[in-house]
Amino acid sequence: MLLSFTIWFQNIPLFIWLRDQVYGYPIALAAHLVFISLFAAMIVMTDLRMLGVAFRGQSLSDIIDQLRVPKRIGFILAATCGVLVFGLKSEEYYYNFSFRIKVALFILVGLHALVFRGPIYNRAAELDNQPLSGKIKVAAVISMLLWTGIIIAGRGIGYIPAPLFSHHFE
Amino acid sequence: MPLESLLDSELAFPVFECFHIAGFALAIGTVALADFRLLGFGLRKQTPSEITNNTWVVTLIGLLTAIFSGMLMYITDPDKYYLNWSFLIKVACLILAIVFHYTVHRKVVHSDTITGGGKVVAVLSMALWASVVFGGIFIAFIMPGL
Repeated sequence: MLLSFTIWFQNIPLFIWLRDQVYGYPIALAAHLVFISLFAAMIVMTDLRMLGVAFRGQSLSDIIDQLRVPKRIGFILAATCGVLVFGLKSEEYYYNFSFRIKVALFILVGLHALVFRGPIYNRAAELDNQPLSGKIKVAAVISMLLWTGIIIAGRGIGYIPAPLFSHHFE
Repeated sequence: MPLESLLDSELAFPVFECFHIAGFALAIGTVALADFRLLGFGLRKQTPSEITNNTWVVTLIGLLTAIFSGMLMYITDPDKYYLNWSFLIKVACLILAIVFHYTVHRKVVHSDTITGGGKVVAVLSMALWASVVFGGIFIAFIMPGL
């Protein structure tokens, strides 16, 4: 079912058109990386504040609250370009082991949000007057590990050759 | 491990690339935090200099990581790069971006006054860094011989 979805997906007219453009793939990929840069630095600086390493002169809630919406915008932009890259050859990605790991890591990012959003990110202002708890630091470390893993898995996708039978392009 | 056998390993290039991406993402993204602040977005409760006082170490570590891993990528196959016009443009943009960052950009950020000129500097800064990324990606995609 997933496989037939990827074959349908890569034959959406937008992606057929994009495949025909000589520089469609590199432009989508470069934009993906630029937006990843914006997003990743916001993640890391938030995490470093949660660890008490950076922005120590600024309150925890100042950093967490002000970067929440920009992080979401950054993620949406990176993900949109990611979908363009994926749509160029989604059928190949279905078989790609590194892509599967990347998807699994995104599920773990969702779990991270489920666990830590309520007690930390949604009530940063209440945590301002307390010393940084172990829980906050654990959330920061896990966040950095997950996003580092996503970068590595993302780069790994390009190194796994596509199976010869996976070229159902229109 | 001697450098040559390291470079011969099939894993070497992808590993260098991961360091390269993580490094430039941290560098460009942290500079962008100040750029967006100059444009009136993001960490608005902080002054531009408060932001860079807290991010410059990450920027520098990211930049050095990206440059060092980039050099390792280059020496795995210098022939692939030194005549590649996308690579040459990328390196030119990189040098410009670094000089701009540690001169004009630094001065504007530390003045902590938000002016129209500061906004131009912020946009130029982001455009320069983004062009380095685009130039880097295009190394592998331009037609050989052009």
